[in-house]
Amino acid sequence: MSIKENIEAIRAELEAELEKAENGKLVEELRQKVLGRKGTLTALRRMLGGLSAEERPAMGQLINEGCEKIGALLDARLEKLQALEREQKLKSETIDVTEPRELPRVGVPHPTTLALQEVVSALTGLGFDIVEGPEIELDHFNFELLNIPKNHPARDAQDTFYVDDNIVLRTHTSPVQARTMLSRKPPIRIACPGRVYRADEVDATHSPVFHQIEGLVIDKDVTMGDLKGTLDALFKKLYGDDVETRFRPSFSPFTEPSAEVDLTCISCRGKGCRMCKGTGWIEVLGCGMVNPKVLEMCGIDPHEYSGFAFGIGLERITMLRYGIKDMRLLYEGDERFLRQFR
Amino acid sequence: MKISMNWISRYAPITVSPAEYESRMIMCGTGVEGVEYLGAECENVVVGRVLTCRDHENSDHLHVCTVDVGAAEPLQIVCGAPNVKEGILVPVALVGAKLPGGHEIKKGKLRGVESCGMLCSGPEIGVPVELYPSVGDAGLLVFNEEYALGTDVRTIFGLDDYVADFEILANRPDCLCAWGIARETSAALDTPLTLPEISVKYAGGNIRDHVSVRVDDYSRCPRYASRVIKNVRVAPSPMWLRQVLHAAGMRSINNIVDITNFVMLETGHPMHAFDLDKVRGRQIIVRTAHEGETLRTLDGKDHQLQPTDLLICDAEGPTGLAGIMGGEESEITDATTEVMFECATFDRAMIRVSARRMGIRTESSGRYERGVSEKTIMKALDRACQLINELDAGDVVEGNYDYYEKLEAPKPITCSVRRIATRTGVNITADEMVEALNKLCFENVSVDGDVLTVTAPDYRQDIEGEADICEEVLRMAGYDRIPSTRLRGESTQGGMNPWMARKERLRKLLSGFGYDEMMTYSFVSKKSIAALGLDESDPRMQPLMLRNPLGEDTSCMRTTLAPDMMRILAGNYNQGNAVAMLYEFGTLFDATRRTAEGLVTESPALCVGAYGSGIDFYTVRGVAEAICAYEGVDVKVVAGGDPYYHPGRCARLMHGDTCIAALGQIHPDRAAALDLPEQTVLAEIDMTALYAAAQPMGQVSPISRMQAVSRDIALVLPESQQLGPVMDTIRAAAGPMLEDVKLFDIFRGLQVGPGLKSCAFSLTFRSADKTLTEDDLAPVMKKVLKQTGDSYGAVIRG
Repeated sequence: MSIKENIEAIRAELEAELEKAENGKLVEELRQKVLGRKGTLTALRRMLGGLSAEERPAMGQLINEGCEKIGALLDARLEKLQALEREQKLKSETIDVTEPRELPRVGVPHPTTLALQEVVSALTGLGFDIVEGPEIELDHFNFELLNIPKNHPARDAQDTFYVDDNIVLRTHTSPVQARTMLSRKPPIRIACPGRVYRADEVDATHSPVFHQIEGLVIDKDVTMGDLKGTLDALFKKLYGDDVETRFRPSFSPFTEPSAEVDLTCISCRGKGCRMCKGTGWIEVLGCGMVNPKVLEMCGIDPHEYSGFAFGIGLERITMLRYGIKDMRLLYEGDERFLRQFR
Repeated sequence: MKISMNWISRYAPITVSPAEYESRMIMCGTGVEGVEYLGAECENVVVGRVLTCRDHENSDHLHVCTVDVGAAEPLQIVCGAPNVKEGILVPVALVGAKLPGGHEIKKGKLRGVESCGMLCSGPEIGVPVELYPSVGDAGLLVFNEEYALGTDVRTIFGLDDYVADFEILANRPDCLCAWGIARETSAALDTPLTLPEISVKYAGGNIRDHVSVRVDDYSRCPRYASRVIKNVRVAPSPMWLRQVLHAAGMRSINNIVDITNFVMLETGHPMHAFDLDKVRGRQIIVRTAHEGETLRTLDGKDHQLQPTDLLICDAEGPTGLAGIMGGEESEITDATTEVMFECATFDRAMIRVSARRMGIRTESSGRYERGVSEKTIMKALDRACQLINELDAGDVVEGNYDYYEKLEAPKPITCSVRRIATRTGVNITADEMVEALNKLCFENVSVDGDVLTVTAPDYRQDIEGEADICEEVLRMAGYDRIPSTRLRGESTQGGMNPWMARKERLRKLLSGFGYDEMMTYSFVSKKSIAALGLDESDPRMQPLMLRNPLGEDTSCMRTTLAPDMMRILAGNYNQGNAVAMLYEFGTLFDATRRTAEGLVTESPALCVGAYGSGIDFYTVRGVAEAICAYEGVDVKVVAGGDPYYHPGRCARLMHGDTCIAALGQIHPDRAAALDLPEQTVLAEIDMTALYAAAQPMGQVSPISRMQAVSRDIALVLPESQQLGPVMDTIRAAAGPMLEDVKLFDIFRGLQVGPGLKSCAFSLTFRSADKTLTEDDLAPVMKKVLKQTGDSYGAVIRG
């Protein structure tokens, strides 16, 4: 058998054995068996010494080539086995991606805060400054400066919690407006959010504590059209471009003329539904042009300046926005309720 | 206020459908709560005559009748009424009739005899005996007059009518009557207004021979007028009058009382009728009460009077509370022969205070509280006398009493046409303004250039100046004409105030930590504060009390957020919620510190509370410390806290001498009392203190590119040794090269020894300009060991 035939036989045998080698260790044993110090191919190299000087280089090259080829075969097998092993490892690491786990807990602001944030963001965008004031107020700021003298029947509509004859829990955030008018010069463009109090028994639509945000604008030649424009801009931002406002005549001692404002029902978009009792409109707020008497009492010349004011009940907006039927839920702090918001 | 639309139509024709009327009135400023058809529960009921009537063969009380209802064939109807008999004219509910209470008439058999309808009593068709005098419940309503057979009975009883329920604004007491509504109707619908011409026929005599009247207090009774009727003929009122009262929800009594009620509904003036024979001394005195005086009112209640109360008295003493409730003695009865009609005005604030104190609210006091015009009194009084003439209910005596100190002359108001138009934003012309004001019966309306001059009608007490005129003009022009315009003028920046912005920052942080915001009332009970077990001298124990709370549970303003947080956590636990992580922003009210204005001090606070798996003291301390770190406030944890915390598991976060937060696990006794899990934790953060210490974010420091080197040490310390100070000592000893130090293990056991703990710390060092070597770190670590050894007896664990 020639050397060439020998190499071929060794290669063929190895190839067959490699097929059966199922791990890296077996492949390395085969490598030793062929290419190691006592390997079959190494033995052939020893046979070169018995060849003539003419034959030797060619045969040497044949052996070298055989070594390379066989080395490549061994490496390829090894690589293939390693790939298989990796694949198997990954397979064994498979997990149940549908296994239920606790979610990272994301906290949520209170729904009334969410509504407030929306209104505040819309109003600050229109240039309103947010101003806050005390919740326990002097009768003077809560009523008298707002054109509601003592024993005025308008006080009936806002059953008041009294601390003493002169101090009340504010029934609206309007005293903040009065304080601002007394301390700032026009132009004034403010919004006053906060807690207000009325001596109402608790039920699905009443609460002795609730939140308002009131707006006030005082400048030269401010019109009722500007009031409507501002409210339109506010509500379009809150509920979308297709909502409209409707003004109805109303009364408030603080404003003259006064208006009650209806908004396109945000549930049915004006088509008529249960929420709006089929009218397509929902009552959302009261507003009007600041009564010149109020301006005067607050040190602003009503001949030079005019202004408008509006007051939004945040709970009402919140309940409309989220379809909350019972106001009490807002104050019970039940996680099952709170965690529905986002 | 309910008023019949047929009645209004007599003064101002309602030319549109009820629904259209409702919306037109609303858009012109008169609220309408709804319109109701009066005859909705009397449908398909007609006049019929009982032709024959025989006893039912299977009954001892039923009758079988044939009834002619004007149809081709008479109807057979079985009737059980005792007063049924041949020939009578009665209301017949036909098959398909709808009666009160959803009752519907069907064809049926009564003890074997077919019955095609029902003969009706008054109550069965919603006609009370005072609307149509008959036997009432006791039997069939029998018509006293002739009516064509088959006539719809609603036309007879005035039930073919709509009643509108008006919601009158607080500034428009003049609309609390038919004339007021008629005036608004005429203006809203642009239909002519025809109010009755008032004229009275006198029967001679002189009022002064019948009664004398004296008013002692004009500040409480600005005007008092009266007239006398002699030869009074008390009788039932005519049908039209009964119908008007019925539609308004009032009962007909007799012609005299009905006239006073009718005039009140028509003109808005409360009136009172006195039986003069029962007025002692034939003398009426209007005066304030004497100290200690008492009075029994018509409802049988005794009242302790005060000198601010106004009384109507006769020669011997008080007989009634002026404007609130009359006295029993002078009531009109069938025996009355002489009557004095009173029409007066009383100070609205006085009426309000007196009525409230005595807990009485009557139709009359309600009207006086809202305001009754002085100027229209005589018109109302004369209208009552005119009705006496018309009803032939007596003879009007010549002369009247009319006491007042002064009547303000109507004052012309001058306005600027331009300013009115500007204020509304609507392009209203001067001509339009004049037309609107004329429609509303304003007087002497004139325009000269920009100057509009006008006088308000005497019943409009709400009109004071240009702004009021502006509203009148605008509501006539239509609120729907208000354009939607953008704010002009000097621009303003706009933005949140600091406190709102701060709360927003903290909300984001707390949301990230998984906490939900809650809101509770600002009221608490004194009991819930007492339960905290604080020292009596603690300002939180002296809350501001309300004068008129809704109840004990809500009687004072909160001085701490802790009770509400515990209550809400308990509520959640009770509902089976496994985890609750909540926070609340709230104002605390300190009644012990007053502001310069005399108001209580209000301060913003934050309370965080939680329970649930894995939540313990360190959870809530972490939240509070993270908040402090986020706002750049350095704090030290100091053990200790209020008695509602677990004494060994509470702490304060101190910034120097200021307490920023108090926190801990709530006391096991409180947890048990509230039915809360034991591991319930709270943190109360003083927002004022927090933001007084807060540091805004400054310039960033460069980051080192050098390698960090870490060294671990385990120190054996006494079990009781707090690790916070140890960490501080390590930090101080390790100096500026120390980047971070962490506690990574605490080991207790035999190897360490009893009463000891082995605490493993990992120190990370880094320099800005070189990689640190053992030569750099060895002296530092030596110093750390020495100082912890000196300070705490710490021994390195070998």
